[in-house]
Amino acid sequence: MSTAVSESDFLLAHRGVGQDLGAWVVGIAFGREGRSVGFALGDGTVRLAALADIRADWTVVEAHRGAVLAACADGKDGVLTGGDDGRLMRVAPDGTAVELAKYGSKWVEHVAAHESGIRAAAVAKAVHIVSAKGETEKSLAHPSSVGGLAFDAKGKRVAASHYNGASLWFVAAKEDKPRLLEWKGSHHAIAISPDGTHVVTAMQEQALHGWRLADGQHMRMSGYPTKTRSLSFTAKGKWLATSGAEAVVLWPFFGGGPMGKAPTELAGGDGVMCTAVACHPQHEVVAAGFEDGLVLLVEIGSGKVVPVAPPGRAPAGNGVSSLAWNPAGTHLAFGTEAGSAGLLDLAKR
Amino acid sequence: MSDTTVPVTVLTGYLGAGKTTLLNRILTENHGKKFAVVINEFGELGVDNDLVVDADEEVFEMNNGCICCTVRGDLIRILGGLMKRRDRFDGIIVETTGLADPAPVAQTFFVDEDVKRATRLDSIVTVVDAKHLSARLNDSSEAEEQIAFADLLVLNKMDLVSEEEAEAVERRIRAINPYAEIRRATKSDVPIEAVIGRDSFKLERILEREPEFLSGEDHHEHDSEVNSVSFEVSRPVDPEKFNAWMSDLLATKGQDLLRTKGILAYPGEDRRFAFQAVHMIADGDFIGPWKEGDARKSKIVFIGRDLNRPQLRRGFEACQVDS
Ligand SMILES: [Zn+2]
Repeated sequence: MSTAVSESDFLLAHRGVGQDLGAWVVGIAFGREGRSVGFALGDGTVRLAALADIRADWTVVEAHRGAVLAACADGKDGVLTGGDDGRLMRVAPDGTAVELAKYGSKWVEHVAAHESGIRAAAVAKAVHIVSAKGETEKSLAHPSSVGGLAFDAKGKRVAASHYNGASLWFVAAKEDKPRLLEWKGSHHAIAISPDGTHVVTAMQEQALHGWRLADGQHMRMSGYPTKTRSLSFTAKGKWLATSGAEAVVLWPFFGGGPMGKAPTELAGGDGVMCTAVACHPQHEVVAAGFEDGLVLLVEIGSGKVVPVAPPGRAPAGNGVSSLAWNPAGTHLAFGTEAGSAGLLDLAKR
Repeated sequence: MSDTTVPVTVLTGYLGAGKTTLLNRILTENHGKKFAVVINEFGELGVDNDLVVDADEEVFEMNNGCICCTVRGDLIRILGGLMKRRDRFDGIIVETTGLADPAPVAQTFFVDEDVKRATRLDSIVTVVDAKHLSARLNDSSEAEEQIAFADLLVLNKMDLVSEEEAEAVERRIRAINPYAEIRRATKSDVPIEAVIGRDSFKLERILEREPEFLSGEDHHEHDSEVNSVSFEVSRPVDPEKFNAWMSDLLATKGQDLLRTKGILAYPGEDRRFAFQAVHMIADGDFIGPWKEGDARKSKIVFIGRDLNRPQLRRGFEACQVDS
């Protein structure tokens, strides 16, 4: 499809705005307040755009002294970031940056937050739980460095992946003892299904591993040519969209799946690796980014593809590193390793 | 591709050998280069640099269940993080603890796709204490492994030993690894160009250096558990036979084979085939053509434990095309 379409066929040309931010786009998060989006960069800044006017200048917020390593939507509004300067920062929708915690010379590599206000920051082997007020409530210890972090939909449990499995913690427990989900090997990206029944991790060995929490049933999802970096459940948890192959690979979490079921592969055929996925917050639509900078939308039911942004001009090193939807599902943002970024307003007019 | 990757130099050596002194020398010398430094948290001395990262030395087994197939999980994370701000440095230096096994460090650069895409292993530099090395070799296997993996050995604290003692230490080093360059030093005073930018793991440079001490049968130092053997054959090597032999050898003996390097002449092929392995993890490709007029001899070198010289020799010889 890269040869069959022209620049104007891409949604970005008439529904969005592109920017060269000049540094690796590490993460993108839309504020839960619905007004702002933050692009967290390898140069330590967060670029804030206002959804009311995406073409207005984006604000440059100096958040970290080194690189931002992780970003997510903060509890109520704004963006939560962790950096290689050992700091956990909050960037408000007006661009004010506040240091919530500082963890010495260690990197803050993963962050997560829930709409209740609670936050989690992974620093080496520890996950620090930080309250809405910004106080560190507890520190949860793991056997090795944490590779990924996720809250469940209710904000009651937090899951952290690490070497030889993942740990699932009740955040408000009086006595902190995790449920250990064991599987040999090194686990990175982690996701909890929207209904809280499954935990899935991406592994060093180009495979996913899943646990059905009700009975501890293991799920192996393999066959990827590269490491999966991005995992995203569809709104109702029917599908798990993943990067790491030459197509968007979707595992069915219904009808007894994914055990014994083949995954559905969409938007493939160009021989280019998918590097990022983000499921629409309501519809069964996935945004996917590829190694060459291409961004597209694909409808799961029909397999219909809508091009969003064309492949980058640079032949290599411009892979899509981040993708995010706003909670209302009206805006989509993407960014690449080389620092190109795009923001689209897809609201019906 | 290799032009855009960031070179990584690994510094190994026992506590007190002068590793951190060498590191600080590299960092403070006026060479106009900026380095990111990865140190272990139990380092002996402070490191003076803008960009210093603490490592935990997390050694992870790979999923094949083999104890020698390991990577450094912390390095995968740290190098990935550093790449997000790669404009800020020209190279990366990784200092390991005195007890570290260099194999997982080296294997990380062959195994992890993200590390391979963004960085390259430049060389492994081992700092040893001329005065105490013999004692170290007698009481630990890590010291042997660090020498076996070295591309450059800095024989430090030369002011504390006599010429005879120094020569005796060099003999022991060469019995383990005759392919490493040895640089004598006092207070780690080696020029930075000798340490950084060696490109020792580039296939083009495999076996470029002639061994400084060919350890023939008669020269064996039997007090070392690790040693090296090398063979040369004059008839071309059949790629299928070689691959079959090498896969089997690495699968069965890989745990004892620390480093394997070879240059092969394939029949009817004008380019040299270069090959290297760290334990069971192998890498190979065609490199530049054979020199006009040079004999197209295939060579292989093994550095490892319990090397069965006659068996390895027969195995390699049998890879030749039928005469
Ligand atoms: Zn092995």
